[in-house]
Amino acid sequence: MRRYDSLIIAAAIVVLGGLLSLVLADYRLRLLNVSVISAIAVIGFNFAFGLAGLISLGHAAFVGLGAYTLAILTTALGWSPWLAIPVAILVTTVFAGMIGYPLLRLRGHYLALATLGLNVSFTIVVTNWITLTGGTNGISGIPELRLGGFAFNDERRFLWLGLVLLALCAAFAITLQRSRHGRAMMAVRDDETAARMTGIDVTRVKITALCLSAAFAALSGTLFAAHVRFVAPEDFNYAHSIIYLAMLIVGGEGAVAGAVIGAALLTFLPEWLRFLGDAYLAFFGLMLLAILVFLPTGLVGLTGRLRRLGWGAKVERTP
Amino acid sequence: MTLLQATAISKRFGGLMALSEVDFTVAPGEFVAVIGPNGAGKSTFLNVLTGLTLPSAGNVQFDGRDITRAPTHGRIRAGLGRTFQHGRLFSRLSVLENVMTGAAIRTDRSESQLREASLGMLDRMGLADEAKRPIDSLSYGQRRMVELCRALACGPRVLLLDEPAAGLNSGEVELLMARLIALRAEHELAVVLIEHNMGMVMRLAERILVLNFGCRIAEGTPAKVQSDPAVLSAYLGEGYNNARD
Ligand SMILES: Nc1ncnc2c1ncn2[C@@H]1O[C@H](COP(=O)(O)OP(=O)(O)OP(=O)(O)O)[C@@H](O)[C@H]1O
Ligand SMILES: [Mg+2]
Repeated sequence: MRRYDSLIIAAAIVVLGGLLSLVLADYRLRLLNVSVISAIAVIGFNFAFGLAGLISLGHAAFVGLGAYTLAILTTALGWSPWLAIPVAILVTTVFAGMIGYPLLRLRGHYLALATLGLNVSFTIVVTNWITLTGGTNGISGIPELRLGGFAFNDERRFLWLGLVLLALCAAFAITLQRSRHGRAMMAVRDDETAARMTGIDVTRVKITALCLSAAFAALSGTLFAAHVRFVAPEDFNYAHSIIYLAMLIVGGEGAVAGAVIGAALLTFLPEWLRFLGDAYLAFFGLMLLAILVFLPTGLVGLTGRLRRLGWGAKVERTP
Repeated sequence: MTLLQATAISKRFGGLMALSEVDFTVAPGEFVAVIGPNGAGKSTFLNVLTGLTLPSAGNVQFDGRDITRAPTHGRIRAGLGRTFQHGRLFSRLSVLENVMTGAAIRTDRSESQLREASLGMLDRMGLADEAKRPIDSLSYGQRRMVELCRALACGPRVLLLDEPAAGLNSGEVELLMARLIALRAEHELAVVLIEHNMGMVMRLAERILVLNFGCRIAEGTPAKVQSDPAVLSAYLGEGYNNARD
């Protein structure tokens, strides 16, 4: 059964999302698109934070770098978005690899602070490098995505594209997580010394995890840019990094399904709780706290916990 | 012929000489024990051999290559293996997955080959039934055995064991000894055993190195070491006196 998890999750995303795309309308469809785009970024973040244990608070900078690269290539240079997407992913991944070497010497809180600094620097650069990024005015006029005569130019059509990409990302992430590479990342987070002692090159595994997380972030960023067709600095400031972190923790760190569930939940929650008004943030904070304390493995951890209850009962019966 | 050779290893922690000019060799397939009182520098010595700490002086050679400053993972890939005094497993991975991380040292193995090799190793160590269990559901003795499996799955030529019998009950110690003997019979596996359990050391070791305050105070066959006056006063003396009481 575990062997087919990646297919099951990919199918669930396409089928469930596809059904929702038919019944939902307007603003909800837009939120669903935002969920899907965020989910891709959070799946990436799971490699760095959930698997390898890198406490990064700069994930939104990678999303932003992907988005801005696409925006600049398509508007200033007139590239096709389909060509700009892989180039944006490549640029962001190489950038992550380059900053990874000095950055990953830091651990825990120091790494968190340094990546937070990276995110703040990113915002400062895109705000002030006006000739390239348009400063606070951002970049508009990003072309729509189209396949032949079919343009992904309304919320429903864009969602179909997003769902297919999300399903592919989820299946790929699950396969990778269940491979030797995923186990190596988890080993590094659990015990670096023991990981070294099983022949794992810890530095390389950490950099790979950071690069993977950046690649997914960049894809998410390019989709964001192609969806809104406009990018501005505040879309990628450090607050978004914290939201990605919250999405992963609520859904369940270490699990791809958790990343998707967390992204959807935290995108829709402000809508569902609009009646709370200003009290929403207080509620949100308390909910996060409750999950950290009572459900440290997030919402997907609930299923594991139930399964283990059944399993524990079986063990008790054996003499 | 020597496989692992440490020459004049010294290690200083501030004002403390944890190791002073220790020489040590291991031949292929040899079983060597390293003993000494608490704080003698035994674990520090293994840390130097595996690259977790760099020596202040001296050098380490493995299979004819100088590995004094080589990274730990490189030494493991070259054929060193080690378990820890205080058990270090990957707590988020299952028993099988822990062993598979070790087996993955061979990059040419497919996922199913990794699984098979690891299951085979668990089976040989009597842990086949525990393969799917999470680490936190194992007994202390089982955990130590899983750690041994993980180290063995890396296919080492020299296996360094830091007090593998600590915390095991007498039945488990017997089992551990029987399995170590069987392993050595099958592969040409050299073992370096750090152990406070003298019964185990005397039965298994072909040669014993005795450390005290970071210095080598004796080395030789179990019979020779047992009657060495320096050893008797530093270490075994207490043990024997206690045993006689
Ligand atoms: N990282 C370190 N920093 C400072 N001192 C250390 C460090 N590691 C070990 N020491 C000291 O070096 C000495 C040797 O320690 P080591 O752990 O090697 O002894 P051991 O022979 O393994 O003892 P035991 O039988 O208790 O395991 C001890 O005095 C210890 O306090
Ligand atoms: Mg020790």
